[in-house]
Amino acid sequence: MANMLKLIKNPLSKENPIAVQVLGICSALAVTTQLKPAVVMSLSVMVVVALSNVIVSLLRNTIPSRIRIIVQLVIVSMMVILVDQFLKAFVYDVSKQLSVFVGLIITNCIVMGRLEAFALSHKPLPSFFDGIGNGLGYAVILIILGFVRELFGQGSLWGYKIMPESFFDAGYVNNGLMTMPAMALILVGVIIWIHRSRNEDLCEK
Amino acid sequence: MANKESNSYIFMYSTILVVVAAAVLAVAAVGLKPFQKKNQEIEKMQQLLTSAGIENDVKNAEELYKNCFVKELAVNKKGEVVSVYENGQQTEGEVRPFNIELSKELAKGEQAQFPIFVCKQEGKTIYVVPVHGKGLYDAIWGNIAIEEDLNTVAGALFDHKGETPGLGAEITNPNFPAQFKGKQIFENDEVKLAVVKGKKTAENFQVDAVTGATNTSNGVSNMLKDCLSNYVEYFKTLKTE
Amino acid sequence: MQEIINIFVKSIFIDNMVFAFFLGMCSYLAVSKTVKTSMGLGLAVVFVLLITVPINYLINEFILKEGALAWLSPSLASVDLSFLSFILFIAVIAAIVQLVEMFVEKVSPTLYSQLGIFLPLIAVNCAIMGASLFMQQRDYANIGEVLSFSLGSGIGWLLAIVGLAAIRERIRYAHVPAPLKGLGITFIITGLMAIAFMSFIGIKL
Repeated sequence: MANMLKLIKNPLSKENPIAVQVLGICSALAVTTQLKPAVVMSLSVMVVVALSNVIVSLLRNTIPSRIRIIVQLVIVSMMVILVDQFLKAFVYDVSKQLSVFVGLIITNCIVMGRLEAFALSHKPLPSFFDGIGNGLGYAVILIILGFVRELFGQGSLWGYKIMPESFFDAGYVNNGLMTMPAMALILVGVIIWIHRSRNEDLCEK
Repeated sequence: MANKESNSYIFMYSTILVVVAAAVLAVAAVGLKPFQKKNQEIEKMQQLLTSAGIENDVKNAEELYKNCFVKELAVNKKGEVVSVYENGQQTEGEVRPFNIELSKELAKGEQAQFPIFVCKQEGKTIYVVPVHGKGLYDAIWGNIAIEEDLNTVAGALFDHKGETPGLGAEITNPNFPAQFKGKQIFENDEVKLAVVKGKKTAENFQVDAVTGATNTSNGVSNMLKDCLSNYVEYFKTLKTE
Repeated sequence: MQEIINIFVKSIFIDNMVFAFFLGMCSYLAVSKTVKTSMGLGLAVVFVLLITVPINYLINEFILKEGALAWLSPSLASVDLSFLSFILFIAVIAAIVQLVEMFVEKVSPTLYSQLGIFLPLIAVNCAIMGASLFMQQRDYANIGEVLSFSLGSGIGWLLAIVGLAAIRERIRYAHVPAPLKGLGITFIITGLMAIAFMSFIGIKL
């Protein structure tokens, strides 16, 4: 059990897929202008990683190594299409905001990376936890970004106004730059900076 | 077990994989389709309700729509009614006006059909018509709600696909459509309602442009002109009735 | 014609793959250490985009779209296969990349030695998949617009990666704080470049 816990805990900080492994940035940044799509996106990625990890792990002894990448690609695409269909059916407004980025989970390097590095050589249960852990590690960064960008960019969280009216009366204005793509990149840079100053061994020489 | 790396095994394996994947996806797609379609319908209903000035949310939109929008019509350029949908039934024509896609109709020329949604609320009748045009980069669209006199704007709503955030995209900010309320549309059977930059020359017909988005604003003007003019003939027949 | 030029300019500068949509970030960050290699990867991306997006457009137009199968027989007019688009698009991309690699190797060994190592990387580059999904979502009117979109997006990506590589070659001689070195500073540079690209917003020919 301790092992399982480690599988979940490690990706949160020490082996964070975004801040340390630099995987899956492509689809991460565009969906974080608000908290809600960021959370939905994280959940989708978590589901896709965990379930495709399990499926690949179950099939690991039958997959011919020559077509292994294609098999993984098919499984991942299948999961992503399912997630996309579910989002369209049950959280339509969010799925509209996420637009093409749900589809881009397929090329999200986290998913393929975990399949190659973990699921192909481990049993289904650890693979599942590994997927959940990496999904959570991805989620942490997305949620921090979504929180900061929505709070300062639009003065709200999860669509509800948070900044009190009196702030605006006193001359406070929403920072429009926060909602722009550029700021997402700079914020990730800052997160990496903070993260690495606390874990010196992660610094690049 | 057969040799894992042999060609026949690989071939079999991929065939089974593809068939299974396709089957799972097809089942999911067919099963979820009704929900997805419903979401799109509700979104459209919400837009129609909002433009008619009726507050709504995702949950009550369908109910409200059913109660308020008593009739859906489609007319052609000559002002003839081609299809009617009333009390949950198609009474004339084949296509339900609700399902008409204006962007496709506009390309059809003389064959085109234009939907009108008739809303009865608190004893008043409001006519909501959709509009569709081109902004700076991409499509813009919306709804215009018209009062009983068939000339005064009761409300408006706009949306866009790819205008510049903070500039052209401001047409979705409620402040912009709010300006339209109470303006006049037609003068001598011509659409005079327009978005203008700078000083207004005819207060009754004009609305302030979005700051810094001249092309989007012109797009809105052109859209109003192109779409609303199609209803002139029909409104004439309504007035003489 | 004007429309086509417009799309071209827009997809290079305003809807830049990297700065506006964060697409292809993984290889963008990994292969931008020197101008020469980044140029190679950039050219390969332009090349692959120019082939895959129009092919996916035709697939979408004649197979996937609702009612697209009507050319086969009128009874198929109501079939909507768009839920298969993710899986087909990625399959086309993987196959085309493989074919291009073999073709280039046969026809022009010099070009192959320059592009060769980058081609396999491209199949998992989300800029390629993303471009196909954007093409589907934006519903371009004809093949001319699609071509101009794919060429523009490719050039935009090339511009971004070569620009970043040039800056990174220089920054090696600067005193960057240790935790910010490497990844962190690269993100911040990209953010600043994105702000610079924001000045193109609103231009139209």
